[in-house]
Amino acid sequence: MRAEFHLARCYLIGLRRRTHVATVTLISLVGLALGVLALVVTLALLEGFQASIRTELVRSAAHVRIGPAQGRLLDDPDRLASVLQAELGDVEMVQVVRGTCLVSSRTDAVPASVVGRSDASDATVDHILGARLGVGIGDSIEIISPRYRLTPMGPLPVRRRLQITRTRSPEHGEESGAVRVPLGVAQRLLWGAPVVEAIEMRDGADPWHLDSRVRRALDEAGLEVRLEGLDQLHRPLLLALALERVMIFVAVGLMLVVAALNLLCNVAMVAAEKRTDLAVLAGMGLTPIAQRRLFLLLGLGIGLVGSLLGAALGIGLALVLDATDALPLPRGVFVVSSVPFRIEPVTVLVVVGVALTLAAAAAWLPSRVIARREPAEGLRYE
Amino acid sequence: MSESGSPTPSADVGSAGTAAAPMVRLETLTKGYGSGATRVDVLSDLDLEVPQGELLAVVGPSGVGKSTLLHLIGLLDRPEGGTVELDGDRMNDLDGEQRAHLRNSLVGFVFQHHHLLDELDALDNVALPLRIAGHGARRARNRAAQLLEAVGLSHRGHHFPDQLSGGEQQRVAVARALAARPRLLLADEPTGNLDASNAHQVFELVRQLHLAEGLTSIIVTHNEPMARRCDRVFRLAPLGERSDYVREI
Repeated sequence: MRAEFHLARCYLIGLRRRTHVATVTLISLVGLALGVLALVVTLALLEGFQASIRTELVRSAAHVRIGPAQGRLLDDPDRLASVLQAELGDVEMVQVVRGTCLVSSRTDAVPASVVGRSDASDATVDHILGARLGVGIGDSIEIISPRYRLTPMGPLPVRRRLQITRTRSPEHGEESGAVRVPLGVAQRLLWGAPVVEAIEMRDGADPWHLDSRVRRALDEAGLEVRLEGLDQLHRPLLLALALERVMIFVAVGLMLVVAALNLLCNVAMVAAEKRTDLAVLAGMGLTPIAQRRLFLLLGLGIGLVGSLLGAALGIGLALVLDATDALPLPRGVFVVSSVPFRIEPVTVLVVVGVALTLAAAAAWLPSRVIARREPAEGLRYE
Repeated sequence: MSESGSPTPSADVGSAGTAAAPMVRLETLTKGYGSGATRVDVLSDLDLEVPQGELLAVVGPSGVGKSTLLHLIGLLDRPEGGTVELDGDRMNDLDGEQRAHLRNSLVGFVFQHHHLLDELDALDNVALPLRIAGHGARRARNRAAQLLEAVGLSHRGHHFPDQLSGGEQQRVAVARALAARPRLLLADEPTGNLDASNAHQVFELVRQLHLAEGLTSIIVTHNEPMARRCDRVFRLAPLGERSDYVREI
């Protein structure tokens, strides 16, 4: 193996002495570097956007939702809450009921989600509902429940007028607008009784693993409930993000395939150029397997230099673009003010690994042809 | 090589006079190139035996198959028929890896063109067979330095092939052929590209090393005076004519 390393190193260094082969090799190397650069920057951009989406998800949504194993209401929410409080006292915990009501302002009325939360002390509308009703802080809204109560004048819908004290960004997945109200208000509007549909929990320290902590606590207490973590609560979104990453990787990765084909031509050219050398090396005892390894090493050498160069340039470019906010985004449309770039070391390693694999595959084909030849063939054509 | 049976080498070649297996034994060796209308038969039913320690010259007109013969003996090519035995062992059934290992340990080649690797200096070129055999760089280069000294080029070790004269290049090639201490030296017109003075020097070097290292050597040459200085001459004729050994005095 040492001889092949030695020869591959000498050939790569010695390429400088042969202008035409050196030019083609340089083109292969630049092609591979550009492919890796494009892939690294594109994935950094994608990762930046996806990270901001995940950050927004973690910031605005529940990290764990505990609902009844069957039906719509929790059987014993107080016991559940006390168990969770005892085991996970450091975690934010909220009792929730939610339903759909008609919400009206002075001029308009729209169906919207009404969310009763134990941590809410006043009425907060999200920006969607605020825009649909044309209301803001200080305005009054009336929530009209689909539930009726009997009055001397006949059945009348349960209703409640509230003053808006705050507005907020909509929760992920909320499209028709929502209003947050104190738990008691929502219970009266939606159920007419102190019921709880779910307990939602948030853990700023480790939101993605909160579900496993909660599951352990509930299993120890022997409570049967339906538990959903961030992964389950937002499965469609997270699957879409993962699929997007794979598709972009494959699409932009085709550049690497083109670069690898170019490298194949380059290695084949070196093989033709070194045909006699190889025959002489075979005459000295370089085995067919060693000849194959020699050309694989040549391909990998070019691939390694090209992919590391591309990765270094890609990382540098992504970091500079991110640090300088070079690509601004319109405010109000996106949650971030400029195009975010985020380098994931694992992703870069995968890109370099794919580039090296393609380079090895590109070198493999000519190396196979070379290893099959009898050494005398190379000498006959000298 | 003969059309109807080769001369009987054993009757003519038994100069060594020992019971040891001949270094090279070829029996009914056949080789051609191409197929169909473009088929060219080069060697047909060739018998040859080269005893241990002999310096044999192979002569004949261009295209008669001298290089092909050397390639077959040196395991660089496979015969279409017949057998090749080296040092008493049949080579026909060996796979590519085994043949390569034997080429490294048993055979040294010198070609008409020096075929030094342009990317390596003289020292590294000479050390190459040892590196291929798995020796470390230092040990290989030490042996290479000794060999360069033996061929009178110890001062040119760090020169690249294009910085050496034709004669020096060929002397480096001779040193390289002997690096892994082979027992069989095959030289394909080693002086063919050299002027008379350099050709003489290189031939004498090969002869001297042949004796010093106790080699069995086969030299293909067009140079009749040089051929006559070998132990024996094998005269290869075109197909249809009689190939023959010539005992040189």
